[in-house]
Amino acid sequence: MNIHINTPEGTRDRLFAECLERRQVQSALVELFRRRGYTEVITPDVEFYDLFVQSGNPIPQETMLKIIDRSGKIMVMRPDCTAPIARVAATKLKHLALPQRLYYDQTVFRDRQAHAGGSREIAQCGVEMIGAVGDKADLEMVAMAVDALRACTLPQFHIELGHAGFYRTLAGQMNMPQEELERLRAAIEGKSFALLNDLLEPYRGEDACAALRRLPYLFGGVEVLDEARKLAGPCDSLDHLGRLYSELSEAGYGGCVRFDLGLVHQLDYYTGLVFRGYVEGAGAPVLSGGRYDGLMEQFGRRAEAIGFAVDVDAVGACLDVETPKLKTVIHYGPGLLARALALVDSHPAGSCELSPCRTLESTMNLAREKGAAQVLLVDCEGERWLPV
Amino acid sequence: MSERLRIALTKGRLQEKSVEMFEAAGLDCTPVRSPGRRLIHALPNYPLDVVLAKAPDVITYVEHGVCDLGVVGKDTVLEKGGAFYEVLDLGFGRCRFALAVKRGCDFYGTYKTRRVASKYPNVTRAFFEGKGMDVDIIKIEGSVELAPILDLADGIVDIVETGATLKENGLEPIEDVAQVSARLIVNTAAMKLYKNEITDFLSRVERELGGEA
Repeated sequence: MNIHINTPEGTRDRLFAECLERRQVQSALVELFRRRGYTEVITPDVEFYDLFVQSGNPIPQETMLKIIDRSGKIMVMRPDCTAPIARVAATKLKHLALPQRLYYDQTVFRDRQAHAGGSREIAQCGVEMIGAVGDKADLEMVAMAVDALRACTLPQFHIELGHAGFYRTLAGQMNMPQEELERLRAAIEGKSFALLNDLLEPYRGEDACAALRRLPYLFGGVEVLDEARKLAGPCDSLDHLGRLYSELSEAGYGGCVRFDLGLVHQLDYYTGLVFRGYVEGAGAPVLSGGRYDGLMEQFGRRAEAIGFAVDVDAVGACLDVETPKLKTVIHYGPGLLARALALVDSHPAGSCELSPCRTLESTMNLAREKGAAQVLLVDCEGERWLPV
Repeated sequence: MSERLRIALTKGRLQEKSVEMFEAAGLDCTPVRSPGRRLIHALPNYPLDVVLAKAPDVITYVEHGVCDLGVVGKDTVLEKGGAFYEVLDLGFGRCRFALAVKRGCDFYGTYKTRRVASKYPNVTRAFFEGKGMDVDIIKIEGSVELAPILDLADGIVDIVETGATLKENGLEPIEDVAQVSARLIVNTAAMKLYKNEITDFLSRVERELGGEA
């Protein structure tokens, strides 16, 4: 039989330091989530395909890994955690009082282009707060996004806020066919300054035009809110962001918060605040979230929801984690197992191990082979250090 | 603290035009003009490092964030796609994608499935999908003009500049697929992390663009 000794494209074995990085990030995040009153939900790795198609969360179907079950139904490896959690909250948890605070720590699967260097398995840690609206809910979420990246001990990072409502208000004022609006949105999302100018040229006379033209540039510090107000006039979504910022600054989060009013991705899905986290050293956002008040209704329960997910391995790659080095090998005599184990347990994890050898000579050889610095001999005469 | 930016330029003609534009904007590009064996060229009077790459690699480097900026043709952007900001149309490297057939051939005048050869299968697929037409697409790596001559394909989708090569080989462009020119692309995270540095660079380039127009 021909056994495949390689892993499938886009998957890999994670060894040692990569595992430590992942676990370190996961445990920092999970510890924070629990402290803030979030409880864990584990959903199946495999779900029905329809769940992700009908949920309104636009995951391109070609990126889902599909399986056909024995009855012919199409299933997918979970490409996202939010839809399954919304399903759970709308069904099994529907009798619990709101708001519900849920967190997850699981893998999502997305098929990518071959040889693009990305993994098909993405470890995600995230939270969902279901059934809470208003500034306080949004504040709690943004503050936790900042604390999440801080808990991972990242030195340089920021959370960037946007609002789906700002673009919607502007686009609503434009007398533009739907198709062209979509082109406009894509140009703003891609910060294609030149293309945007061309698209807006025929609509020069309209009020919202000046603000839309500047939209891709409206990112940076809190000053962009003032500029946006000057361009677009008074606007609920800008006031909302302004209130969030002053509360966040008051609480000491201001230095980590920035804005991008040109965050106009997945507008069918996000209904209010949207945010992303950027880290020095990562070429893409490592945290992404927002408010999706329409999602739960798709599963038969009306409830607002806001949440975010952290790309655990992208954060882990920015950390400098080293695996511990073996220093000491313990050679113990008959009847001394308990003492030997106590000694192993008293050393830092990974720096000390027991020798399975019968003679001291083979233990010395083993220690030499594994690069340990010393052998700790435990026999009836006591304990002695022997240099290797 | 000012961060040094890194830009990937598409080797060849786009590289020359980019360097001309940067020099007009006051950047000293001597290290790029006489590259020697070095692969990364630090500009002496501006915090910018230049690397030279093949067009699709420019996108790869920018997407992964190892280069903050890139200059690449719209043809490659359309064919390869990806997640990055496509901020400026640099105006040079202008040409067009066109559908070309053997002179006198009525490409659309049949219900038989047409076969189209191209170096750009994704662009070709999107073009005919937009028309609701099923076509067989054959990917050709070298001179695409050969495919219709050898009767491998009914037409080709390719970059056309003057049309001279087509004409010499008995082919003619019958329809435009897309306009192409050089684009300045930016990594999404770099745009946010090094906003001041990137804005400064963009405004210098934009000033040159404005001057030309």
